[in-house]
Amino acid sequence: MTAAAPATSAGEPLRVETLPTLPGLGSLYARGAAASGRIAAGRAMPGLPVIGQGRSEGDGEPAPLTLPDVAYRVTRVPTAELAHHLHDYQRLLHEPVTDVLPAGYLHVLAFPLATAVMVRGDFPLPLLGMVHLANDVELRGPVVVGDVLEVRAWAENLRPHKRGVQVDLVAEVRPQADPDAGPVWRGVSTYLAKGFHLPWSDEADAPRDEPADADAEDRAPAGTWTPPLPTGRWALGPGTGRAYGAVSGDRNPIHLSALSAKAFGFPRAIAHGMYTAARALADVGHARGDAYRWTVEFASPVLLPGTVDVAVTPDDDGFAYVGWNGGRRRQHFRGTVTPL
Amino acid sequence: MATRKPSGTSRNTREANPSAPAGVRDAVIVGGNRIPFSRAGKKYADASNQEMFTAALEGLVARYGLQGERLGEVVGGAVLKHSRDFNLVRESVLGSSLSPQTPAFDLQQACATGLEAAITVANKIRLGQIESGVAGGSDTISDAPVAVSEGLRRALLDASHAKTLQARLKAFAKIRPADLKPLTPATDEPRTGLSMGEHQAVTTARWGISRAAQDEVALASHQHLAAAWDAGFFDDLVTPFRGLTRDDNLRADTSLEKLAKLKPVFGRGLAEPAEPTMTAGNSTPLTDGASTVLLSSAAWAAERDLPVLARLVDAETAAVDFVHGHDGLLMAPVHAVPRLLARNGLTLGDFDFFEIHEAFASTVLTTLAAWEDADYCKAELGLEAPLGSVDREKLNVNGSSLAAGHPFAATGGRILATAAKLVAAKAAETGRPARALISICAAGGLGATAVVESV
Repeated sequence: MTAAAPATSAGEPLRVETLPTLPGLGSLYARGAAASGRIAAGRAMPGLPVIGQGRSEGDGEPAPLTLPDVAYRVTRVPTAELAHHLHDYQRLLHEPVTDVLPAGYLHVLAFPLATAVMVRGDFPLPLLGMVHLANDVELRGPVVVGDVLEVRAWAENLRPHKRGVQVDLVAEVRPQADPDAGPVWRGVSTYLAKGFHLPWSDEADAPRDEPADADAEDRAPAGTWTPPLPTGRWALGPGTGRAYGAVSGDRNPIHLSALSAKAFGFPRAIAHGMYTAARALADVGHARGDAYRWTVEFASPVLLPGTVDVAVTPDDDGFAYVGWNGGRRRQHFRGTVTPL
Repeated sequence: MATRKPSGTSRNTREANPSAPAGVRDAVIVGGNRIPFSRAGKKYADASNQEMFTAALEGLVARYGLQGERLGEVVGGAVLKHSRDFNLVRESVLGSSLSPQTPAFDLQQACATGLEAAITVANKIRLGQIESGVAGGSDTISDAPVAVSEGLRRALLDASHAKTLQARLKAFAKIRPADLKPLTPATDEPRTGLSMGEHQAVTTARWGISRAAQDEVALASHQHLAAAWDAGFFDDLVTPFRGLTRDDNLRADTSLEKLAKLKPVFGRGLAEPAEPTMTAGNSTPLTDGASTVLLSSAAWAAERDLPVLARLVDAETAAVDFVHGHDGLLMAPVHAVPRLLARNGLTLGDFDFFEIHEAFASTVLTTLAAWEDADYCKAELGLEAPLGSVDREKLNVNGSSLAAGHPFAATGGRILATAAKLVAAKAAETGRPARALISICAAGGLGATAVVESV
């Protein structure tokens, strides 16, 4: 076991806690909402003890935010009964209907374990209201219905972002037959918690985690970015968020209806970021092969119902894709799919 | 060549078509018949595909005295087809005065359906499997099938499979209000979600085709078609239907000024420098109609004392990789034609007529531009030199789809009959063989092309 002793990407060791089964996302959101409320209340009243922000060290200064040093693990996850659910996912995302699990489906399978980390009492950031910034996924070989899997998830790399703090949620899927051989699927989801502040990183000397020009382009006012010629167009109906919510279990209220989205400051429901990224992945088609790296960066949300213009085009190593609002010429997302 | 010469094939044929494989004989085009094409929702608003195809077929039967005749095969199709029309062509045959012993089948290759049907019939004739056949197609936008949503369809199927009332109710309980919205056919490409017009707008932008050039193609189409009607060219190619005697999309009095006033309808979301240039004037309208062409062996026509207009010499289909924008959706004929010409030892200079289907004016122009582009011809078509230029004086001389309209599956038959009649007239006039090149683009990145030659 020493060879596979769980650790963060930076090599910090993680305590493994084994859960009996993969949690469902739906119930986690209820717990996340409760925890988020407590954190928000704490934030609004400085000086009061803040759950999840560490102990006060006595001088009134909050201690640094720290991530739980725990990795959740679920072993012997069966997939034999998933064919029907998988095929629903594949039809919704325009994937070919087969018994091979696309990388986006493995995200749906594994991510609830990462969400379980995020709703722990000692996780320092609120689940609700966190912004999904990016995803970086590697599928190193085919996973098929019937495979028995081990899933692990943890949080790492808490770091400043100019609008708050960001954190990586790492999830891994390993073949149960040989979990020490390394993950067959690994996904890193980067989330932003707005308004949070790392005490040890003042704005002035905060390390910039992304180039200033790229940031400027992403956040530029609508209309200043020139989109490429489209290769496709997605007409996303008002039920898109509900449909992906049903198949992924991610029933975050911002995706479900205009009313529930308004409660979180959105004018209408917004599409799941992973829905858009998985549609782009499907658009690449079989040229991606059995093993591929799939990345996405989210720039602005896709309001539902809505039309997204996309360009999915071959580049040097694989495919690059970008999605935008044709009328307002505003980028929604961009990413790559690279055969490994 | 002598070793490959089959017995019974005329010397003339061997010279004109040296690439024809041994044992293959000519398929000749006797004539064609169609109904006038009508803009969607007008004269044919309540006409079904079967009614239109039967009318076109019955007109053909009447023109060539085929009542009671057992033909080798009738082949055709419709692009927008209701599932009840699974045997559209056979049912049309049974509704015609052809012998009920005439076999038939449906095929479909989007806008290339009609030409593909003719290629299929011609190949059966060339191989000696049949002596005669009819190729054609029919399409209606006005009477298009309307489908139920996937949710309702699943619920209805589950209910029909249910064994108990309880199970049936459970199936119906799954229906959501949104499921009750009917689905009308769309011309969107299933894999990209872009309509054909939006795809062509991208191709138009890539090739930098101007609005003015497109409007000129549209104007020429209307002027040529109007002149052909006035000259009586269609008198033996069209049978009136439902009170319509001419294609009702034809605007004989249109002008560049009128066309210039129309607002762009496709490519409006494209970023600079791409300007939206495609209007309702330089794009084909949605249209209803049907067409047929009679093909046979030379002997079959001679036995019945029927005229022979031309031979369908050879054909080539192609497809392009359009899904990730490598090539334009409607550029497949650009790939097919060089292969077709090479196989037959021909160049663009060997043709008297070019019939390039006007899905959009810019489709014709991007096709011509690609054949003149050295880089494209080398990289995409594998040609050492550009394929060459098309003499615009020989292009769509009697008008094409911009003026006539484009009932998807019916366009191939319209073009083939026109091309056959054109080469026959040209050969009669000059005393030399005449040749036409047909090029039809189709949804799905498909294209069908053919060579027609006077006999």
